[in-house]
Amino acid sequence: MSTTVLILIIFGAALLLGAGALLAYRLVRGHMPHFTRKALGIPYAVFLIFFVIAPMLVILVYAFTDRNMHFSFANFVKFFSDPTKLSTIAYSIVIALITTAVCLLIAFPVAYILARSKMKKKYVILMLFVLPMWINFVLRINAIRELFNWIGLLGEANYFNTVFGMVYDFLPFMILPIYTTLMKIEESLYEASADLGAGAFTTFFRVTLPLSVPGVVSGVTMVFLPSMTNYVVSDMLGNSMVTIIGKFISEYFASDWHMGSMVALVLLIVVFVSTLLTGGFKSEENVRGANL
Amino acid sequence: MKKKRIASIAAAAVLLLPSLTALAACGSEKADVILKVYSWAEYIDEGDEGSYLYDIEGDEEAPPILDDFEAWYEETYGISVRVDYATFGTNEDMYNEIVLGNEYDLLCPSDYMIMKLAAEDRIVPYDESFFDPSIEENYYIRNVSPYIADVFENGTVTVTRDEQEETHTWSEYAAGYMWGTTGFVYNPEHVDRADLEDLGWNAFTSEKYTNKITAKDNVRDTYFAALGLTYQDELLALDRTSGEYNHTLTEIFNRTSEEYTEDVGDTLLAMKKNIYGFETDTGKADMVSGKIWLNYAWSGDAVYALNEAEEDGLSLEYFVPEAGSNLWFDGWVLTKGVEERGTKHAAQAFVNYMSMPESAKRNSYFIGYTSVIAGENAEMLEFLRDDLEYGEAEGDDEDFYDLSWFFGTDAHLYADEEQRTSRQLFAQFPPADVMERCAVMNYFDADTSERINELWSHVKAETLDAWAIAVLCIAVAAVILFIVYAKFGAKIDLFRAKPKKGYELVKQDRMQ
Repeated sequence: MSTTVLILIIFGAALLLGAGALLAYRLVRGHMPHFTRKALGIPYAVFLIFFVIAPMLVILVYAFTDRNMHFSFANFVKFFSDPTKLSTIAYSIVIALITTAVCLLIAFPVAYILARSKMKKKYVILMLFVLPMWINFVLRINAIRELFNWIGLLGEANYFNTVFGMVYDFLPFMILPIYTTLMKIEESLYEASADLGAGAFTTFFRVTLPLSVPGVVSGVTMVFLPSMTNYVVSDMLGNSMVTIIGKFISEYFASDWHMGSMVALVLLIVVFVSTLLTGGFKSEENVRGANL
Repeated sequence: MKKKRIASIAAAAVLLLPSLTALAACGSEKADVILKVYSWAEYIDEGDEGSYLYDIEGDEEAPPILDDFEAWYEETYGISVRVDYATFGTNEDMYNEIVLGNEYDLLCPSDYMIMKLAAEDRIVPYDESFFDPSIEENYYIRNVSPYIADVFENGTVTVTRDEQEETHTWSEYAAGYMWGTTGFVYNPEHVDRADLEDLGWNAFTSEKYTNKITAKDNVRDTYFAALGLTYQDELLALDRTSGEYNHTLTEIFNRTSEEYTEDVGDTLLAMKKNIYGFETDTGKADMVSGKIWLNYAWSGDAVYALNEAEEDGLSLEYFVPEAGSNLWFDGWVLTKGVEERGTKHAAQAFVNYMSMPESAKRNSYFIGYTSVIAGENAEMLEFLRDDLEYGEAEGDDEDFYDLSWFFGTDAHLYADEEQRTSRQLFAQFPPADVMERCAVMNYFDADTSERINELWSHVKAETLDAWAIAVLCIAVAAVILFIVYAKFGAKIDLFRAKPKKGYELVKQDRMQ
């Protein structure tokens, strides 16, 4: 409770300080300061510095220091000379790739059918797909665990269960962006395609698919990245027999923050590279159609 | 639209209101001392249904024990106190909080963490007066079991303070709270007791229990089990009658140096191949649902599982391997700075209050763990007999169950064979011969901890063959090269043939 009070006091003090500064400015200059649009960005900049940049720097510092906070490459060397850690990254990437592929295979047809259908209440169906997101994720994974237990899959196929749980969990993140981009395709484009003599098949591959790429890219990013680290799923549905990179980070942070930070840093780089990869497609506007 | 906004503002106000009033309430409720206690979740009597007062004494109010402590402290010492009670999930979480500088007065870590905190000079000893049995309010020293007091008196830790090394006993730094053993909860419908006794720790690798047994998803407990499995023959061959028996046993269960880790690592891998999974808290539910037959567990959790299963009409049992097992305990320790903050008196009084037989009953009943408290007149024996109904005061000679080793004075009850050998009574208070073969596992120093964590990660995660890793590295390099090329390739002349002499590079601007 006292922490809450402290935070409130800090916020209150900041507000008072701001108001005081304004008042002081007015007293000295005789008018209120002129705010440019840039000034409105200050709170965001402060937020980013405190909650994004500073933590990353802390991770960086921890990753390259040893127990006594002396600069050291030991963790770096240890990480890249340990076949287990490299293998775990590989496993995580493979699990994430499979999850993403399965999500895409399910989500695209769903989004396509919903976007193209003339149904009046199609948003209800869309809602049904998104609805699970409103329920706490741990609760849902627990429910799946019970379900698998009942079927008899629990403990028999740990990797399958993990991927299943991830797909179940992240499917809405794939459906929504694809649905949105598909909805944005104007009807006239389909008409033009038909006018030019294209059949349904050609229209899909030459019009619909290329135009939905931005949605697919954002869906892939939103599914791929979290499924590399969501170890609650692998613990609950894989009986902790499946280890992904997120689990490593959590375990190391119990005892060795320096190695934990190094693993987190490596993951950050993997994420960065994969974002670059998907972003690389996006920025090349002119080849968008040709690529797919 | 506007209506909606008003509605949402109202909703926000309604949501914020309780927190504001709570804030106001906590400001107005003044106390002389604020005692910050940091302990395990669900590790204290929280009152209401399921509490000793409610279930046994029929008190429908059944306040949480913290409220009663606050009232008692003010009444006894004339000082008002408020307890800020925070909880943690693992010893390591708690340790990190302390290292980060969070100020708590009283902590409830496990055995090895107490040693670690003491060795690093992060906790302070109790006052000498705390151990004076002639003071009436010193409930801890007056009621603690002589057995536990002995364990605390004989355990030592090397404290490094101002670069000087001093040896201290655990008892100077810690007052016990709950204790127990580790063993297996098993389902007698599927597991034959005699067979389990033959197997002992080998149950983890036995084909009979493939995919039907769980280990703990934490390095210390599972490493301990692996030690038992690796050195089971050596442990069984020890001479029980020797005065050095427990000493040697403890040495074996603390084999963490490099010469042993390889063997234990192999054992852990063999265990992983055979077990159903590593678990932290799903074991109890999986036992009840019948998914697994054996669950490696702390005795306190075992009692809880046995009770839960009973409600579902299932009779589970508890077993401690013959070769030896783990004696663990959780104890109250005072953090550094407790004197400066002026909370040491309240903190020690808190420990004393929790050590009253009445409090021990309440806490023990609520959480199902075994208290270190025996009671001056073995009051806790009555609790076992009359409240928990594990046995009777009178009975046949063959049902005689001796607990003098724990209570110090002659203490016994008459219980049926199940309770004596495999049910709640056995799990909470094993007979003396079981306790003789239990060992405390010391804390790992920094280097050992690092080595064993590496070992653990190799056990938990899959390791690919060298060629697979090589292929992987090449693939990663290829991807990165591809990205570089896709991004900057066009700008690098390297990828473009130079025009022949006399030709100019035609600019593609005219396209636009």
